[in-house]
Amino acid sequence: MIRKNKKPRLNWIDFAVISSVVGFLIFVVLRVDSVLNYSWNWNHVFPFVMYLDEDTGQWVSNLLLEGLIITLRLAVYGIIISAVIGVVMGLCRISSNLFLRMVARSYVELVRNTPPLVFIFIFYFFLSTQLMPLLGIDELARSDSPAVKTMIWILCGDPILFSNFVSGLICLSIFEGAYITEIVRAGIQSIPRGQWEAGRAIGLSRIDVMRYVILPQAVSKIAPPLANQFITLIKDSSIVSLISIQELTFMAVEVGVSTSRIFEVWILVAVMYFVICYSCVLFFNWLERRAARSKR
Amino acid sequence: MSVNRKALFRYWKVSQQSRVVATLQYLVFMASLVWVVVHGANQMGYQWQWYNIPEYFYKVFEGEIYPGRLIKGLGVTVDLTLWCVGFTLLTGLITALLRMSDSISGRWLSTIYLELVRNTPLLVQLYLFYFVFSPIFGIDRFWTGVICLTFYEGSFVAEIIRSGVQSVERGQWEAGDSIGLTRWDNYRYIVIPQAIPIMLPPLTGQIINLIKHSSIVSVIAVADLTTEGRNIIADTFMSFEIWFTVAGIYLVLTLSLSMFVTWLENRTRVRT
Repeated sequence: MIRKNKKPRLNWIDFAVISSVVGFLIFVVLRVDSVLNYSWNWNHVFPFVMYLDEDTGQWVSNLLLEGLIITLRLAVYGIIISAVIGVVMGLCRISSNLFLRMVARSYVELVRNTPPLVFIFIFYFFLSTQLMPLLGIDELARSDSPAVKTMIWILCGDPILFSNFVSGLICLSIFEGAYITEIVRAGIQSIPRGQWEAGRAIGLSRIDVMRYVILPQAVSKIAPPLANQFITLIKDSSIVSLISIQELTFMAVEVGVSTSRIFEVWILVAVMYFVICYSCVLFFNWLERRAARSKR
Repeated sequence: MSVNRKALFRYWKVSQQSRVVATLQYLVFMASLVWVVVHGANQMGYQWQWYNIPEYFYKVFEGEIYPGRLIKGLGVTVDLTLWCVGFTLLTGLITALLRMSDSISGRWLSTIYLELVRNTPLLVQLYLFYFVFSPIFGIDRFWTGVICLTFYEGSFVAEIIRSGVQSVERGQWEAGDSIGLTRWDNYRYIVIPQAIPIMLPPLTGQIINLIKHSSIVSVIAVADLTTEGRNIIADTFMSFEIWFTVAGIYLVLTLSLSMFVTWLENRTRVRT
């Protein structure tokens, strides 16, 4: 585009934009102040993130911060599990075996074409009634062995919420796995055919070609969209609050109901999500730039 | 020649055979999955009541057919989606134009909007709209849902439009400029006609997303398909049947649209 080179300058659009934004803000402030008569009280809300314990003189984390930690745990473990699912299913998706291709295709299409909400509800129903007893998560959470207990504390927090956490995690991972499957497939298929042929020509087996030739090249193509998927995972994890997984959004609903400081709570929670996701975006962009520089 | 043909025939036979085998394997696999589900449900003492489902699609009363609750819910979902499609295109167009414009504040505004939408969860946005904005402006639930979904999807559409316009080659702009077209004429006669075929498949994909994401308004009790499903389950405890039916309806909607996208993509690829 030619006009991109021009330096941006103030013109009539700016006046329209600025006046409409200012008008909108004035309208909102007037409505909140006069019509709704809302009295802002941020001091009620911040203690739910962290508060200073008077007796010990230490800062103690509260519901919202704990929720945030669970959200981050869900996201980190979720991306690992769903990456494993994604790689396995992605390989199935391009395998020469038609049966595997059909299974992987059905998985991807089913997950991607049902609404996330409906998927989570259906899957949670199965999970809580059939899969969780099968995996023996509850027994694990109730086990007396101190080693298991400390492991659960370190990895997932309170053992009381362990099975709750695991079911949210499994739901999310299977959901995101379908998207990562497609990322992996696209990454592998973006490697030129010649690479395959060259690998076969020097006598590597199909698996060896995949392992030594294709995958190392595909990884650099898969990494950026995978990083993006991590941010999506942080955002999508808010949906599992609807099946009572106690992450940030769930906690926000609780705090909002119990304090009735609804405006402040939701604005604060939105800001928390924004800060987390946006710092991830900046970090990944920095990584990508660095990787590009080292390649050159 | 005849040898070749024979080999070809044998190959065809083998691949045909393996295709049949794979299909059989697949069917057996799916059947066993279904069996696991049904068996598990039976072990829980679940009573299947599929015969109760049709009444949620339609009811016959005194010789006339009335829509059942699921169909009413589907109607609300479609209604919501259609409103959103219109508003989303408008929002996306305005945002994309602001982003590509010369104006500083326009670029700022659209960038802030895009980053805000991209970096917060849809559910949190919905709560924010429902608890904060709808009391401020006095909007009812349905329109809160429409505005929230528009706000969310608008950002994606803006990027689709922008990349569509920018994918038109630089030379096309320059050619338009050199034959003396004004900026507006350049858009109208040169850029837009070329950008639209590029934009159509992702835009349809976005409508699929819109249908899927519209289920989230059930959280604020807009009577859409998902809400109706949840209500029926609360009344009758037929969780499995209702959820499968609801998911099936969504699947039919989205899969038929995505087949349409594939068709569109193939058509544009052939033409260019």
